[in-house]
Amino acid sequence: MSGHSIEEIRAEVAAIVARQAKLDVAAVQDDSTLSDLGLASLDAIEVIFDIEEAFDISFPEQGIDFTTGTVRNLVDAVLPVLDGGGDGQQ
Amino acid sequence: MRVDDSRAVAITGMGAISTFGEGAPALWTALRAGTSGIRPLRHAYADQLRLKIAAQVPESFDPAAHFSGRMLAMLDRTAQFALFAANEAVAQSGLDLARENGVGVVVGTGVGGETTHDEQNRRLYAEQAKRLHPLTIVRIMANAPASLISMAHGLHGPSFVVSSACASTNHAIAQAVMMIRAGIADVMLSGGADACLSFGVLRAWEAMRVLASDDCRPFSRGRRGLVLAEGAGMFVLESLAHARARGADIMGLVAGVGMSADAADIVAPDAAGAASAMRLALVDAGLEPADIDYINAHGTGTPTNDVTETRAIHEVFAEHGRKVAVSSTKSMHGHALGASGALELVAILSAMKEGLVPPTIHLDDPDPACDLNHVANTARAMQVDAALSNAFAFGGLNAVLALRAA
Repeated sequence: MSGHSIEEIRAEVAAIVARQAKLDVAAVQDDSTLSDLGLASLDAIEVIFDIEEAFDISFPEQGIDFTTGTVRNLVDAVLPVLDGGGDGQQ
Repeated sequence: MRVDDSRAVAITGMGAISTFGEGAPALWTALRAGTSGIRPLRHAYADQLRLKIAAQVPESFDPAAHFSGRMLAMLDRTAQFALFAANEAVAQSGLDLARENGVGVVVGTGVGGETTHDEQNRRLYAEQAKRLHPLTIVRIMANAPASLISMAHGLHGPSFVVSSACASTNHAIAQAVMMIRAGIADVMLSGGADACLSFGVLRAWEAMRVLASDDCRPFSRGRRGLVLAEGAGMFVLESLAHARARGADIMGLVAGVGMSADAADIVAPDAAGAASAMRLALVDAGLEPADIDYINAHGTGTPTNDVTETRAIHEVFAEHGRKVAVSSTKSMHGHALGASGALELVAILSAMKEGLVPPTIHLDDPDPACDLNHVANTARAMQVDAALSNAFAFGGLNAVLALRAA
């Protein structure tokens, strides 16, 4: 298991998104999409990179739409990858 | 001199960054004073390198002072230099690019995003990083300088990068000139940029054994080789009609371009190829050899280049070959590879404007095999109505520009 609680994951993801969007973390709501927060495609891949670095995971190549997905979707995407071994290998 | 402006293209803005710091004026001020920009190498791996000197852009250059965080994230050091120089050139031109149609940008670069490439490889191989930064590709790609300049200035015309090692700038400017002559664009940005002094590339240069350990002394007896540099120069080129119609301050004219390939040795220069490029530039410009007042030589300071270039000059210029003023400003700004032609074009345009030819420094004892009319050690006051800019690259690719005063 990952050793991260869902609250910790949520807080870390929100902090990463806020940093990339240059917003206060309070502005990052669970149902905000990255595009709501002004993050375009290039920003989204940086958010994904930062999340992968933070949790030492690798998201699958396909299957997650990060730009139109919400912050909650991002948190939900981290969980199975963490539970699935979390060694960063695909 | 016969004056035929029908094929000439105006230069109306220039910008540069070099060992002398930010801006074309800083470069020219140093060159006209005969100042060396060669310094002890600043490098994270300096203690492991035999190479001890270089002509690097000084640490005072702060990219964050020039580019937004969002832009900076996309910029390799090469693109930082190209964009800095382009911004300066556009500002000087006085053009409102938002009102121009179909402006393009052609940048010459020898290597591309080497700083990023080297850093990410180090992470991958040495630190065993599992993933690389997601902007690695957009920083490394060789076309990035052209792309980023087009984005920064809203240029929607023909835009790309050309690469021919040390001749990259001159080949790039030739492309821009030909597009303006062909009526494809009225205005083009063009020049060159290189920043490739990574550990890997420096090691590779060491292995070629063409680097000077003391100083860059083109045409001098006992010269040891070239001194690596980095930087960029960018120019605004316009059709003469466009420049005149808006009352632009025309800094000089690209009157002709000459390009050739040695098709011989991959590194050893060939006098016939160099001579051919000079001849073609003169013909394209409608100039006679005797019309040329100044040659800014390729003049790398390697034993082979300088002798071969001298032979090529004599072959093309005949008796005028002993009269035409020659200097290699690489003795001061170093060899900035793909950007060299751009730094040298700043020197030529400034020389034409001020009536002052910058020197080859460290030239107290010229090699008898380099029997030219050297502008040695100090600048020479003389009128320059027409000049050549020589660039002869590794790989035998040659590009010469013929410039005329406006």
